[in-house]
Amino acid sequence: MTRRAPWLTHAFLLLGGIAWLYPFLWTLGSSLKSTDEFFGRGLNPLPGTPLWANYGQAWQGASFGQYFLNTLTITVATVVITLLVTAMAGYTLARTEFPGKGLVLVVVAGTVFLPHGYTIIPIFDIMDALGLLNSLWSIIIVQSAGGIVFGTFLFMGYFRAIDHSLEDAARVDGAGFHQVFWRIMLPLSGPMLATVGLFTAISAWNSFFIPLVFTLARPELRTLGVGMYAFIGENSTDWTLLCAGSVITLAPIIAIFLVLQRFFVNGLAGAVKQ
Amino acid sequence: MSAIQLSRRQLLGAAVATGGAAFLAGCGDSRQNAAPAQGTTLAYWDWYVSQAPWVDNEVKLFQQANGKTTIKKTTQVTDKYLDLVALAFRSGTAPDVLLLPTKPKLETHVGEGWLMPLDKWATPEWRSRFPANSFVEGVNIFGGKVYSAPFSGLAPALQLYIHNGVFKEAGLTNPDGSVLIPKTWDDITRAAEAITSKSGGKVFGLGFGNAQKGALPWLIELFCRGAGSPGGTQSVDYRTGRWTYGTDRNYADFLALLLDWKSRGFIYPNSMSISDEQARAFFSKGRFGMIVGGVWNQAPWEEAGFKDYSLMTLPSPTGTPQGFFYGAPGSYLMGLSAKARNPDQAWAWLDWFYSPAAGKRWVQGGYGLSVYPENNDPAGVTSPTFKQYVAMANTALVGPVPAIRNPEIAKVEVAPVQPDLPDVAAGIYTGQLKDTPKALKELEDRLNGALGEAVSKARGQGLKVSMDDYVFADWDIAKPYTTKRG
Amino acid sequence: MTDIQLVGRPRALIAGRASRLRRRIAAARWSYLYVLPMLVLLLAFVIYPIIASLGYTFYRWDGIGEPGDFVGLANFARVMTDSIFWGALRNTFFYVLLVVPVQLVLALALALVLNNRRLRGRTLYRTLFFLPVVTSAAVVGVVVQLLFSNFGDVVNDVLMSIGLTDEYVDWLGDPSFAMIIIIGVGIWHTLGYNLVYFLAGLQTIPDELYEAARLDGAGALASFRYITVPMLRSVGVVIVLLSVIGSFQVFDLVQVLTNGGPYFATEVVNTYVYHLAFGGFGGTGVERDVGLASAASFFYGMLLIVFAVAQALFLRVLVRRRGGRA
Repeated sequence: MTRRAPWLTHAFLLLGGIAWLYPFLWTLGSSLKSTDEFFGRGLNPLPGTPLWANYGQAWQGASFGQYFLNTLTITVATVVITLLVTAMAGYTLARTEFPGKGLVLVVVAGTVFLPHGYTIIPIFDIMDALGLLNSLWSIIIVQSAGGIVFGTFLFMGYFRAIDHSLEDAARVDGAGFHQVFWRIMLPLSGPMLATVGLFTAISAWNSFFIPLVFTLARPELRTLGVGMYAFIGENSTDWTLLCAGSVITLAPIIAIFLVLQRFFVNGLAGAVKQ
Repeated sequence: MSAIQLSRRQLLGAAVATGGAAFLAGCGDSRQNAAPAQGTTLAYWDWYVSQAPWVDNEVKLFQQANGKTTIKKTTQVTDKYLDLVALAFRSGTAPDVLLLPTKPKLETHVGEGWLMPLDKWATPEWRSRFPANSFVEGVNIFGGKVYSAPFSGLAPALQLYIHNGVFKEAGLTNPDGSVLIPKTWDDITRAAEAITSKSGGKVFGLGFGNAQKGALPWLIELFCRGAGSPGGTQSVDYRTGRWTYGTDRNYADFLALLLDWKSRGFIYPNSMSISDEQARAFFSKGRFGMIVGGVWNQAPWEEAGFKDYSLMTLPSPTGTPQGFFYGAPGSYLMGLSAKARNPDQAWAWLDWFYSPAAGKRWVQGGYGLSVYPENNDPAGVTSPTFKQYVAMANTALVGPVPAIRNPEIAKVEVAPVQPDLPDVAAGIYTGQLKDTPKALKELEDRLNGALGEAVSKARGQGLKVSMDDYVFADWDIAKPYTTKRG
Repeated sequence: MTDIQLVGRPRALIAGRASRLRRRIAAARWSYLYVLPMLVLLLAFVIYPIIASLGYTFYRWDGIGEPGDFVGLANFARVMTDSIFWGALRNTFFYVLLVVPVQLVLALALALVLNNRRLRGRTLYRTLFFLPVVTSAAVVGVVVQLLFSNFGDVVNDVLMSIGLTDEYVDWLGDPSFAMIIIIGVGIWHTLGYNLVYFLAGLQTIPDELYEAARLDGAGALASFRYITVPMLRSVGVVIVLLSVIGSFQVFDLVQVLTNGGPYFATEVVNTYVYHLAFGGFGGTGVERDVGLASAASFFYGMLLIVFAVAQALFLRVLVRRRGGRA
């Protein structure tokens, strides 16, 4: 099909893609509407006269400047910690043998299905005991923990697929455990780093409840996801500002995806290789 | 309880002991901003998003009057407010002054030791500026100590809003050209019919937004109270102390009427899937002529430039409301944390918040009614529709309060039932529940069963309570009721 | 005497084993160090909350302060006898059984098209179809809910003008359509993950295989059947598993789009549990019950584990049998 009628494929893909993107286009358009148009224009994503002021208001109203920095800090730190922790664990579980490994694997896999609880209290108590409440650290740690099972599994798959000859050659040259990991294996895992990094970044950037709870006494530490709630009242919501806020919030993460996506597919390809 | 306590402590110990955690702890940010050397800073929490202009203005005025005190306001996410307050008290980071969560009962907050008694400042003279019976054991007084005070006046919770333009278009006007306000259930049927038929089905008689399951219960509440069911959808009928969804015919009658409107095409067809907010926006655009909602509808409409509407409350079969909205004498809104660092300044802010002058600005801003009756004067209000609302204050009466007669009743915890009224109402409306009277009777039995179980469980725990504590046989629902202390 | 003899020998054996174990542990000390950070995070923030929640299942507790009202196994009994729970379980299975196959077929088809190196702009298309994944389900739900109420009007107008129906349909408010719409949105939202997984899987297939097949005169269908499918089998199993696990946890979409309604028509287990934990809207004196909610979610977790083990065994048999034949 692709060979005979490429234009057909393109037409099909473009139409599908636009339909797929429609909710985004609608949100983007709605961020420039007046409240009146928001409900009045129905499915039409285009505003009558673009209200650029919505962006200014959203930025001010939700303290987006400060929240943006917080979110960025949290996301970067969460990604770095998650990558280090899961790459180290994934490498060890994939490439080394040690007593108790089977148990570790069973425990890690078992947590996939069990409910993680309907109260934040246990985690909150730990953070309280550590004295980390109302700091960005508490959010970073809890969010890093949230992605470790998935990340560890992905890195395990990836490292298992890497050829043993490189590692063996390095060992012959006298490289120790640390050198093999940091000098050989980690640099080889670039695509996987991108993949886990992107997944972690998406969830860290969008998260709402964890940052809300762990900054409860210090609103200046809030993130964009929490800031959006400045537009949601008990009985009414400022929808156009919410849309503008969503666009501001989503733009960076989409940009990150555009930059990382090439690595991202390759990384997954590496992980799923036998 | 102790088992859980132990395992938590042990695990916490283990967690703290790990080196990595200790390292991270060293990097933690400083926990609290130290108060400035000059003056004091009060932490204050609320969930007021749309009311923020009023709060910010009061904060400004308060700070001008009290030069040394600064208020650090935090508006928390509305639907997580209780969780955040509970966690804040758990970790000792609670604000000095806060609006108290509406759920669970204040009893719980006091029982957890969160709040500071206000008796030192809330002297009899201070309390005397409130209307009679504003401070009640089991409501805002516990163990003889006062913890909060009422802020809002009794008010009709719900109204029927009428789109003047749609009504005029359908010819629903008085001889003088003003809009004909429906009063009876039949008036509303006739108005809905006129709107739907005159517009050729383009405009509907009425609409609602039930996506959050709340709008159908509002309709039932408003219409059945008017028909003389004093429990509405909020409580048992205190004349008998029982839930009456099945035995009181008003409920089945109203739902039959609603289904009739639906089958005749009077109701905006997307009503089950849109949110209340969308429904309000569509109403203001004239897609349907009537909607049930609260006073909170008015400010967003005002902002969007929609002013051409009227309102009424408690439509009834006869045109004269048989039942009303009932409130407790005394309620609560704001409290001080038991660990407030500067209790005197914290109290000063609470006192300011509750002052008659602040209450007057609250009414004039169109936010609601004030606890001080003299503030609820339609004359001082500029918005004509809010004026209509203020004039409706007489449809809210003081009703019986079991906790006044027997404070122990506040400790009874009734388990939730499923399906609850919002579910059953939706099931009847969509046709998933075909037999309305049977569904209502089963709901009534579930609710009465849960209540009976809760009471007998409470008795088992040694509380002196009984089902009779919910019965006020001498209550005339057309008149204010004074609950006698037990 | 004899006792000592008898006991002594195993003891020496055990001691020997223990010292060997100790040596192995010492040799693997760096392995432990590298796994340790992951284990610490896992224990503190995943396992410990699970254990704590298990404790809550025995109490009636509103989630404030400490639980004190011990009810034993009553919470579990209540969940197991609640017809609403089983209805929610049925809805969840319905969701999974529709979302997983439809989404996987769509994703695979799209991946095959986008894997063509000569297709121009494939990076752009890949981005288009992946984007919904980047957005949180809560935001998606709000937008889609707003869209559908408008979309509903447009579709209804069309349907009525061509005489297909003489009645308005309230799409998301209609018990017979609501679940289907949620399923459609669910497919839309997470298709991107599966697309990328499949693309990754396709990239692991060496081009030489296809070249060889072409030289042997195999058509597109034949190379799909005899190269692509077998080569994708192992990644396919992983994709199915991830997709099934994810679909069983469907929550935000339903919560925002329909709140489980109308009358439980779209209630899934996670919204059921949520409603228990936080009470319904406009509830009549509803108190929240974190204990009951924890019991319900544990019971569900157990059911899922049983289901997962059964599924894994089934897949293993399937893969082995197919593998044997190929």
